[in-house]
Amino acid sequence: VFVAVMCLGVLTAGCGRDEDRARVRSVTASFFSALERHDGGAACSQLSEDTRTELESQEKQPCPRALHALDLKSGSVTRVQVFVTNAKADLSSGDSVFLDQGPDGWRLSAIGCEVQGGKPADRPYDCELQA
Amino acid sequence: MRRTLRHHGLGLFFAGIFLAALIGQALTGHADYNHLQIAHHGAAISLGRYVTSADFGVDVLENWQSEYLQFTLYILGTVWLLQRGSPESKSLDEAGLESDEDQRVGPHADERSPRWARVGGWRTTLYSNSLLLVMGAIWIASWAVQAVDGRVSYNADQLDHQEAALTFVQYLGSSDFWNRTLQNWQSEFLAVGSMAVLAIYLRQRGSPESKPVGAPHGATAVEG
Repeated sequence: VFVAVMCLGVLTAGCGRDEDRARVRSVTASFFSALERHDGGAACSQLSEDTRTELESQEKQPCPRALHALDLKSGSVTRVQVFVTNAKADLSSGDSVFLDQGPDGWRLSAIGCEVQGGKPADRPYDCELQA
Repeated sequence: MRRTLRHHGLGLFFAGIFLAALIGQALTGHADYNHLQIAHHGAAISLGRYVTSADFGVDVLENWQSEYLQFTLYILGTVWLLQRGSPESKSLDEAGLESDEDQRVGPHADERSPRWARVGGWRTTLYSNSLLLVMGAIWIASWAVQAVDGRVSYNADQLDHQEAALTFVQYLGSSDFWNRTLQNWQSEFLAVGSMAVLAIYLRQRGSPESKPVGAPHGATAVEG
């Protein structure tokens, strides 16, 4: 039973998800790289469907143009955290982005996020755009 | 074969229903997880990924740790604590570790006693507490894995709601960790306490967990 507990622990502790971490880093970097090239279409393809829909509804224009209306601080990825099918990437600008693993793989679900004050368990981020 | 089944029926029966229940939990937990994923427009995951996820791990281990804590405490508590009239209790004059003669260790062991009960020294001391030590070690290991997996599962929800993830130490002080822990502990303590007390007045004919049907309510340490 002791061995079973330790095996279950090793299997389920979320170790060995390097592939997910790399993918999260790559999607985030692709988004900001496209944004810097003013390639709205490529940037939009890194957003989840719900996030694109929310952006278009919020800005009343197609996603590639609507993205420019947001106050997004670009930067390189400094830290990635992955928990099951949710992830967060911190940027050198101080902002963070959130990602979900959906039917199309890892996609951005919230961008331009700044942490608010509060206890660790109740520390919401204020985002420019979230699904 | 029939003889083996008959002589090991209790262990085999519980091993069988344990595996059946664990498989059932994996299948229904997987369906429930994917139901929530689809409701949040996320991706469904495979059964293999689910049973190696922290969500499955924490749901399994939070129950294991409380069961092993219950038996660890029961083994330890029944050394010193008594319950008049209960078959779960020792006689009212036997509280404590008892004499070497009563426990048949060292020079009081016979040829059929386990070797480590006969040899004396640290090996007999270790063997004299081996049940408690192993049950306690499984409890601590299960509780530790519950904490590790619980943090991963909790942080997935935190990120889903655009909230900060907790460190392991922060998670150990969180309401989620203690709610998962205490909701299991309270049910175990209630069940084991009520078993010790109900067995004073109620009987199950043929079960060693009960007194004989005709035994008086005041008879302690009598098993049927």
